[in-house]
Amino acid sequence: MPPIIEVQDLSKEFRTFRRREGVWGALQNLFVREYLTVHAVDRINFAIEPGEMVGYIGANGAGKSTTIKMLTGILVPTRGRVVCNGFVPYRDRRHYTKHIGVVFGQRTQLWWDIAVIESFKLLKEIYEIPDADYRRRLDFFSEILSVKDYLHTPVRKLSLGERMRCDLAASLLHNPPLLFLDEPTIGLDVVAKDRIREFLKEINRQEKTTVLLTTHDLSDIEELSRRIIIIDKGRILFDGDLVEMKKRLAKYNQVKFFLKDRSQVAKLDTFARNGISCDRVDELTYLMRFDREQHSTAEVIRDIVNQLQVRDIFVEEEPIEDIVKRIYLSGEVGLQKGEA
Amino acid sequence: MKRHLRLFLLYLAQYTKVRLAYKADFIIAFFSSMAATVLGFGFVLVLFSKIPKLQDWSFYEILFLYGFSLIPLGFFNVVSWNLYEFGDIYIIQGRFDRILLRPVDTLFQVIFEKFRLESLQEVATGTLVIWICVRHLGLDWGPFDCLWFALMVVCGAVIYLSVFLILTAVSFWFEDRVGIVPPVFNMLTFARYPLTIYSVFIQFMLSWIIPFGFASFYPTTHFLGRKTFTPYFHLVPVVAATFFVLSIFVWNRGVRNYSSTGS
Repeated sequence: MPPIIEVQDLSKEFRTFRRREGVWGALQNLFVREYLTVHAVDRINFAIEPGEMVGYIGANGAGKSTTIKMLTGILVPTRGRVVCNGFVPYRDRRHYTKHIGVVFGQRTQLWWDIAVIESFKLLKEIYEIPDADYRRRLDFFSEILSVKDYLHTPVRKLSLGERMRCDLAASLLHNPPLLFLDEPTIGLDVVAKDRIREFLKEINRQEKTTVLLTTHDLSDIEELSRRIIIIDKGRILFDGDLVEMKKRLAKYNQVKFFLKDRSQVAKLDTFARNGISCDRVDELTYLMRFDREQHSTAEVIRDIVNQLQVRDIFVEEEPIEDIVKRIYLSGEVGLQKGEA
Repeated sequence: MKRHLRLFLLYLAQYTKVRLAYKADFIIAFFSSMAATVLGFGFVLVLFSKIPKLQDWSFYEILFLYGFSLIPLGFFNVVSWNLYEFGDIYIIQGRFDRILLRPVDTLFQVIFEKFRLESLQEVATGTLVIWICVRHLGLDWGPFDCLWFALMVVCGAVIYLSVFLILTAVSFWFEDRVGIVPPVFNMLTFARYPLTIYSVFIQFMLSWIIPFGFASFYPTTHFLGRKTFTPYFHLVPVVAATFFVLSIFVWNRGVRNYSSTGS
């Protein structure tokens, strides 16, 4: 089966101009402008297979949203090729949009002043969804997302979590094979986040919906996708399997331990040596971080147990946040899938 | 086409529901709109209490012109609400993203997402005034005149829409709110009087640059039997169609140039 999303040498440049200040500056702005070209997305390549769930991550301003906007047809690329589900998004916009669902975490697609169900009815007409399909989908979402209770509430009265669930339902009413999510869990509490994630897994499993999501929250990615693409300054730094990434790029292991009492703290000094750091988490909890290549975890644990009185001890892998932070900082390339 | 009609009715029904949910707000909006219209006519009455004729235009002829201008303008006002706020709401706040994500024409969505319902009173008032004038001036209207009249109303509304659409589409290129819409809107009131009272420069402006003359003055000349303007009258549909095509072209170029907002 051909990829459902195919991106080749895709670039987007924005031309902005330096704004001068003050009234005189504003007048000058009208006539003389100094243009700056910003490469928001710079010759990126990737392909996504049908049914995949891919996390697209990057810092603020890395080019995540710009990529999503080109994939959904909102922005016209400056250069390069993008084909999604057989369409060129910006060119075939009106046909293409029937095949995708898009959720922006920051902005709702529902009509603010009317009840949720009325928004759904409008969307039914907009997407020309047949009656039977509409009813079936609505029942399905009512159950799985439990939106039933507030279908008759105006959107402006919903909590963020409720609104997000309604937004998800709205974006999937026409049963698109492709779903784009831009920061779907932003601002949500743990329970609400979890619900959204469970739902996404379910829809991916049941309907084979291909999902591409951007997020700041790396726990989203760990929960949801096997594959991640990391973008920074418009370039792709990493594209591949999440587990693989951890295996190859995790440099550190960490041991967290709880001391029995305060008298033990003084003894900690002896531990700081080559390649091992020891940081205080709270009064009696400490985190020891060490290079996996240089030290064996077993030895580190043995040293701790031998020299300190410890109540509890945990071994942890390096958190994915730390790995990703390191990738951003070093601009590490060379792990791109297929070396396109 | 049928689908768009259905969608239009649905948008209208939804929006009406929202408006009626805030009754006080709607009633105030209705009465202030009504007051503005009444004041406009008040001005014509005051003017004619001082002078018997404006050039060779009688009171009822001016009233006819004034009344006619309200009808296409009323229809235009009903759908133009979002055009005024387009730069702010759709471009700067980035709401145009969502418009682009729906399988419906962008312009259709923008103009039919909001309706200034109270402006329908302008259509009603205008029609009433025209009816009074037709009786006073002893105009003999057959079915054909009524058809011409309806066509002129449509053309007038299309001309207003086209002009403001072009001005609105400018926001796709210049995010800075360039304040050109209000002055142009004010020029609209010029064309509520016979163009012949103005200097040649303004006559030219209102005919060929911003063709408001074709939306209100030239259409009425036919019904008032001013034969000198007959060629202009016949040009009304041509001007309306030309400007409409031009405005759609500019709009679509603007859409391609849309650059969205950061995240």
